[in-house]
Amino acid sequence: MAKIELKSLEHRYESSHKGKSAFAIEDLNIAWEDGTANALLGPSGCGKTTILNIISGLIKPTSGEVLFDGTRVNDLPTRERHIAQVFQFPVVYDTMSVFDNLAFPLRNRGQDESVVRARTGEIMELLDLSKLANTKSGSLNPAEKQIVSLGRGIARTDTMAVLLDEPLTVIDPVLKLDLRRKLRLAQHELKLTMIYVTHDQHEALTFADHVTIMKDGAVMQSDTPEALFLTPRTPFVGYFIGSPGMNRLPCEKTSTGLSVAGSPIAIQESIGLAANKLDGTIELGIRPEFVETSIEEKPSWNRMAIRSVDYAGAYQVLNLESGTVRIKARVEERFPSQEGDFIWAHFPADKTHIYVDGERLDR
Amino acid sequence: MLRDLSLDLEAGSFVTLLGPAGSGKTTLLRILAGIEKPDSGRIFFEGVDVTALPVQKRNIAFVYQQFINYPSMTLFDNIASPLRVAKKKYAETEIKRKVAETAELLGLSGILQHLPEEVSGGQRQRCAIARALVKESRFIFLDEPLANLDYKLREELRADLKQIFRERDGVVVYATPEPIDALTMATHVAFMRKGEILQYGEVRDVYRNPAHAAVGSYFCHPQMNMIPCSMENRESGESLLRVSQELAFEVSLDRQKLPSDRYLLGIRPHHLYLADPLNRMVPFQANVELAEVVGSNTELHLSHDAVRISLLMQQVERFPVGKKVTAFIDPDELYIFDSETGTFVIRTGNRFK
Repeated sequence: MAKIELKSLEHRYESSHKGKSAFAIEDLNIAWEDGTANALLGPSGCGKTTILNIISGLIKPTSGEVLFDGTRVNDLPTRERHIAQVFQFPVVYDTMSVFDNLAFPLRNRGQDESVVRARTGEIMELLDLSKLANTKSGSLNPAEKQIVSLGRGIARTDTMAVLLDEPLTVIDPVLKLDLRRKLRLAQHELKLTMIYVTHDQHEALTFADHVTIMKDGAVMQSDTPEALFLTPRTPFVGYFIGSPGMNRLPCEKTSTGLSVAGSPIAIQESIGLAANKLDGTIELGIRPEFVETSIEEKPSWNRMAIRSVDYAGAYQVLNLESGTVRIKARVEERFPSQEGDFIWAHFPADKTHIYVDGERLDR
Repeated sequence: MLRDLSLDLEAGSFVTLLGPAGSGKTTLLRILAGIEKPDSGRIFFEGVDVTALPVQKRNIAFVYQQFINYPSMTLFDNIASPLRVAKKKYAETEIKRKVAETAELLGLSGILQHLPEEVSGGQRQRCAIARALVKESRFIFLDEPLANLDYKLREELRADLKQIFRERDGVVVYATPEPIDALTMATHVAFMRKGEILQYGEVRDVYRNPAHAAVGSYFCHPQMNMIPCSMENRESGESLLRVSQELAFEVSLDRQKLPSDRYLLGIRPHHLYLADPLNRMVPFQANVELAEVVGSNTELHLSHDAVRISLLMQQVERFPVGKKVTAFIDPDELYIFDSETGTFVIRTGNRFK
């Protein structure tokens, strides 16, 4: 496997009906380390699939570099890049047995049959396919077929990376869990460099140790799932990751500190001091699970009205209001709150992010 | 498909028909709307028998899973179309006012002059919902309207739909396989399985007091664990509940005794923990099969002695596959179901009774 890097990558599609060229990807820099589980996450049209096609060589980028272990591969044809791909719809040779499917790429390269058997056996063992070795692949369920296409991709030992494009789309919900587990296990055991493309935050955060969030052809943040949750770099990431998303509080600077626009909500002094001297538009961000709440009055906490309560079983989400500002607070399932009540809310300084012109301030 | 089914829906209620694929939700919805005819039985709207009434005469609106709009019409004209074809003639100024109001509710005000293909999937479905709302039908039926939208759009639309429908006094019936839809939006839930309604009631009541293991397990997000166990009555008067060789503990059943037998032990994933600071829970050893990060939670799929158990942590954390952990069961949050019939038997603790 290899480290995969994209440097200053740009790609433009000729837009057919408007006669202008449109950027699909603009000045993109990403590095996926050797042997790591990665995800590319973003809404449809953000450029995810274009990136996969650039890595595998199906698309030539307009400019920029594609590097495998530091070597430029821009001019290398697809066949010579040794990239394994798993698509939405499983691709297997239906008439061949599971064993022959996995052995195919090895035999194709004229490998010795004893080597073929050893390697194929190893992969089948890992992916729990041994008992299906002689089964015709056409009779497998979609989840099993997807495992076989993965197995075929990783049977060759010279594979540089495994690219997965929405691999769970056609899989029945009850089988998804098993497929996720096997993907995860294979990645871990064989130290595969995997890049998993999806629009589903659940799949991305579950699969990957490193998630790149894209929007409109640009990277919003590239980080671990924990960091995306705890320190979202932009309000977009804070909102996109997490359920419900991060609260955003537009602020105004005062002579001594900061105030929340349209509301008497008090801001902690440390935050006010940190933000007061900064140039630019200031916004605070805090996740609903970090807003502290109390049904009894507490000094310097904010009195807020409960507009409505969303019951989610394991927890409740309070929709709180003060002035024109509305925020959400996540509380436990037994929190004794009702619509129309007032409660006291507190925004701990260490859980409150300051955004300056849309970028998180590192404090 | 549907068998001996009775349901009484109050005005002002938002009812979800909840159940897995093939449980009869869509069939029931289509029969209520008049798109399909029942083989037997009657349907009454506000006391009037409408069983023989065709769909056009029932004063209903229907929203489908696919975003159905007229592709050549702007969003404005799409939303206005039910008013324009209505028997009652609306003046153009009134149409404008009604479309503007409905568009405002659904956050479409700025894009009314666009064609459906020029807006996002979420906005297209909002437009289809606006069309259903604009003529103020007394009965609105929605068949998995959020199914084709991505996670974040679903979350946003759920919050909006809840607000929109709470201010209307007709009846909203919403078919969905997603428990979270019922929990967050609806006032009532009818749980369906194999063409039958297993339980009907107010959302929180059904959630807290599932009458059947199938309801308990499904109407929980993630699903409630259903763990085969045995119960032995001890001389001390306590009941010993046994899951495995090493996992057995006494439970207090409010002085009630159950016959020694096999049962299903229901535990909600968020009532299992990885820490027990107050030292009052029951520990057991487990392996992590997979850790899934869902929003701001982590769902751990554990295995304990061939039993699969899921645990929901209210934080984001990563675990390698195969990691050994000690998990804790809250003994006050257990449900016991009959292992043969699945019917609810008793629950421990006394909260929410």
